[in-house]
Amino acid sequence: MQLTPSTPRPKTFMPVNARNLFAGLLVAALLAAIVWASLGSGLPPADFTFINSTEVKSVDPQIVNGSPEGNIVNAVFEGLTRWHPETLEPIPGVAESWDISDNLLVHTFHLRENALWSDGAPVTAEDFYYSFRRFLGPRTVAEYAFQAWYIKNGRRYSQGGSGVVPGDSVEVELNLPVDAVNTRRGKLLLGRLVTIENAQDLELRTFLVEIDGVEKKFLATDDQTAAESQPPAGVQWCRQVLLDFREVGVEVLDSRTLRITLENPTPFFLKLTGYYPLCPVNRKCVEQYGTPQWTHPRNIVSNGPYNIQFRRIRDRIRMVKSQTYWNRDSVQLDVVDALAVEAATTGLNLFMTGKADWIITVPPAALRILLAEDPPRKDINPAPFLGTYYYMLNTKRRPFNDLRVRKALSLAVDRDEITTTILAAGEISARSLVPPGIEGYEGQSCPHENPEEARRLLAEAGYPEGKGFPRIDIMYNTEETHQTIAELIRKQWQRELGISVKTRNEEWASYLSSQRQMQYNVSRRAWIGDYADPNTFLDMFVTGGEQNNTGWGNAEYDELIADAGRERDPEQRMKILQQAERLLMDEMPIVPIYFYVSKNMVKPYVRGFYNNIQDSHPLSAIWINRENREPTEFMRGRP
Amino acid sequence: MISFCVRRACWMLFTLWVVFTVSFFLMRSVPGGPFDGERALEPEIKLLFEKRYNMDKSLHEQYLLELGNYLSGDLGYSFKLSDYTVNQVIAEGLPISIALGLLALGFAAVLGLLAGIVSAVFRGTWGDVVLMLVATVGIALPNFVIAGICIILFVFLLPLFPAAGWGDFNQLILPAFCLGAPYAAYIARIARTSMLDVMSQDHVRTARAKGVGPVRVVMVHALRGAMLPVVSFLGPAIAGILTGSLVVEQVFAIPGMGSHFVQAALQRDYTLAMGLVMLYTVLLYSMNWIVDMSYAVLDPRVQLQ
Repeated sequence: MQLTPSTPRPKTFMPVNARNLFAGLLVAALLAAIVWASLGSGLPPADFTFINSTEVKSVDPQIVNGSPEGNIVNAVFEGLTRWHPETLEPIPGVAESWDISDNLLVHTFHLRENALWSDGAPVTAEDFYYSFRRFLGPRTVAEYAFQAWYIKNGRRYSQGGSGVVPGDSVEVELNLPVDAVNTRRGKLLLGRLVTIENAQDLELRTFLVEIDGVEKKFLATDDQTAAESQPPAGVQWCRQVLLDFREVGVEVLDSRTLRITLENPTPFFLKLTGYYPLCPVNRKCVEQYGTPQWTHPRNIVSNGPYNIQFRRIRDRIRMVKSQTYWNRDSVQLDVVDALAVEAATTGLNLFMTGKADWIITVPPAALRILLAEDPPRKDINPAPFLGTYYYMLNTKRRPFNDLRVRKALSLAVDRDEITTTILAAGEISARSLVPPGIEGYEGQSCPHENPEEARRLLAEAGYPEGKGFPRIDIMYNTEETHQTIAELIRKQWQRELGISVKTRNEEWASYLSSQRQMQYNVSRRAWIGDYADPNTFLDMFVTGGEQNNTGWGNAEYDELIADAGRERDPEQRMKILQQAERLLMDEMPIVPIYFYVSKNMVKPYVRGFYNNIQDSHPLSAIWINRENREPTEFMRGRP
Repeated sequence: MISFCVRRACWMLFTLWVVFTVSFFLMRSVPGGPFDGERALEPEIKLLFEKRYNMDKSLHEQYLLELGNYLSGDLGYSFKLSDYTVNQVIAEGLPISIALGLLALGFAAVLGLLAGIVSAVFRGTWGDVVLMLVATVGIALPNFVIAGICIILFVFLLPLFPAAGWGDFNQLILPAFCLGAPYAAYIARIARTSMLDVMSQDHVRTARAKGVGPVRVVMVHALRGAMLPVVSFLGPAIAGILTGSLVVEQVFAIPGMGSHFVQAALQRDYTLAMGLVMLYTVLLYSMNWIVDMSYAVLDPRVQLQ
């Protein structure tokens, strides 16, 4: 008998066809994913790639305020002036020349004929008029609007209804239909403000305005409410009531001449006109698409050296050389990629593997190793720039309301220990708020470290050897270096003063909120100068200033800052500012710790990249020379 | 089956509503708001800002307004990526995360099964010990450590892959591997256990007795039975991979959902964070749903109730 080999069916849990279907679907999905993911591989490499740290908030010059945004806006737009890539002196941008009146208040800009928008239309004085007005207009909600407050009445215009007083010429903007493009302005009625009722309540404030001899009442509301509901009897809806823009110091003389009148002589004003928030935007484009749609690469019209080709969120912004830019012949890079890489280590990896030509920061641990390499590397050269790292003391709280305590704390900080043991890039110990490097200004220092004196002051304040001193904490925003520094200062204070100190970290948003509400004892803070002038540091500490979260205020200090603003003689002005800093360093609401240095890494074949005190590097000045064997501009000064 | 699906759909809506409500109030109870900058805003400007995002209204009104918007499919504008709507951010990021996740899943399944089968077949040998050791390490190590090791090995020592980025197929390999590695390790252990179980069963012994070759015994007779536990693990694995890519996306600078999520939370981007929380809820829920349904398809003994 022959056994027929009949294999018994194995016990199957799933019907064969369903299982095959399942497996088939999985494999198909996998293949589809791979195909889809490699679709992007057709992307031709850029001529120059840099790591711009984070995804930009926007490319709209008037609403952004960060340095990654600045890098993009500066490449895509151009203001009246530009900054020289090395010296940072203002050089002609859209304006080919300018005249300044003898009292330094009136700047007349002459626009060049060949400055064009990317759609081919000329850039005119009206464009700047429109853009400055947009920048200052409260409805643009420009966080950086204060950069234009040096213009006469700029501040009052941007404060909207709070910036006008009875008797002022005002403009009343009427509501538009709800579906109107959100950048269009409503019809403007010009008149004279008679009085404001309910001035304290922003929601119920009614403006009595005389228009063509007739008095009318206006109540500000949004378009939605205006369309849906009736205003109270005898009152008319409007969008806003604000100072008549004709009162603001911006005037179009003709399409190529713009006159700007300032509030005070402002020696750095020509630099400000080259700062990114004061770049012009194209009215036609903005009003056609509305915000934010006008910033989309397919819609945007710009006037700078580069145009945006495409954006991929949290990946890259690709820029290509503009064919309409007036100075296009001097722009050397055709395609530039700005990568939004959040992690500094990832940025360094990309740089080391040749995928990035410039990175703006290096993780501290790696920095130490890179700087110690022998022979010295040809792509790293930390250089000082205008940034100060300091601790704020909450002077509204005990014991920091006592000057002797504040002085003792500063005297007990060994700054050199911080800059040598924790910081790797050659940061400089700071004993003043204003960093060195500003021409004509001499920083005013607080006393050098002296633990002996610190103990004496603390004893005098009633805390001999720290006895009876409340337990305090140092607040910092979550970051490794801030933590290490806080820990070291904690140890120094405990060691030298015998006081008990804790450290407390909060992530960025809570940290800002705690500072604003003054829920802290000691808080880490830093400031990077907006322009190369001591004022950008010193005006923060006027009484009640938006960035003065120390609770400290001094009428004499406020007066000095105001005097400096009015002073016409540059030398005298610097002297006044020095007096202000002297006062600040005597009163010590803050403890300066160190001055920043830049931590750029730039490939040795990149030319036209300069270290400067604002760490500003316009892309239009950069070119590539792969045969280059010389030390580059960037490496100057490095042994 | 239909009543099962209807019930599940109802539960899903309920879950989404609960998640929405909890996240909404949790997010707003954390100190620090989206408009807190280093410099305080002018009161007038702050009010306009808040109006634009309905933040001048009471929390209760905001909640109803936002719930209404969600029901109509409008997730609003991102607070911090002002040029985009939340829908646009998700539309760009989700396919990237899905592509990365599927590839990671492919890695996990192939490597895991292979290792599981080999160590079951060569049970008790050095090979088995080493493979299971690697699997244990794979489970224990967080994926950013694996990522660091992989970058040192395959980017710097052996320059095979790019360090980071997105767009090229070879930029995908390392992140997908790192993302899939812990799951490969799980799959290896599950596959090994169930293989051992099946290999000791009667039908496998019978097949051997009839002279079926060893490869066929393992790949056909044993593997079929050993697959079910692996398949049932795939559901949670898919959900875990899709939602677990936060760190890997940061390390490899991949512009997927994970990167958006981390940044949205840190920057108090309420709208974007909310959109992503809801998206993750939908993903997690529907993956579990699909797995439950696939049981019924794959194993007739399972009844959906």
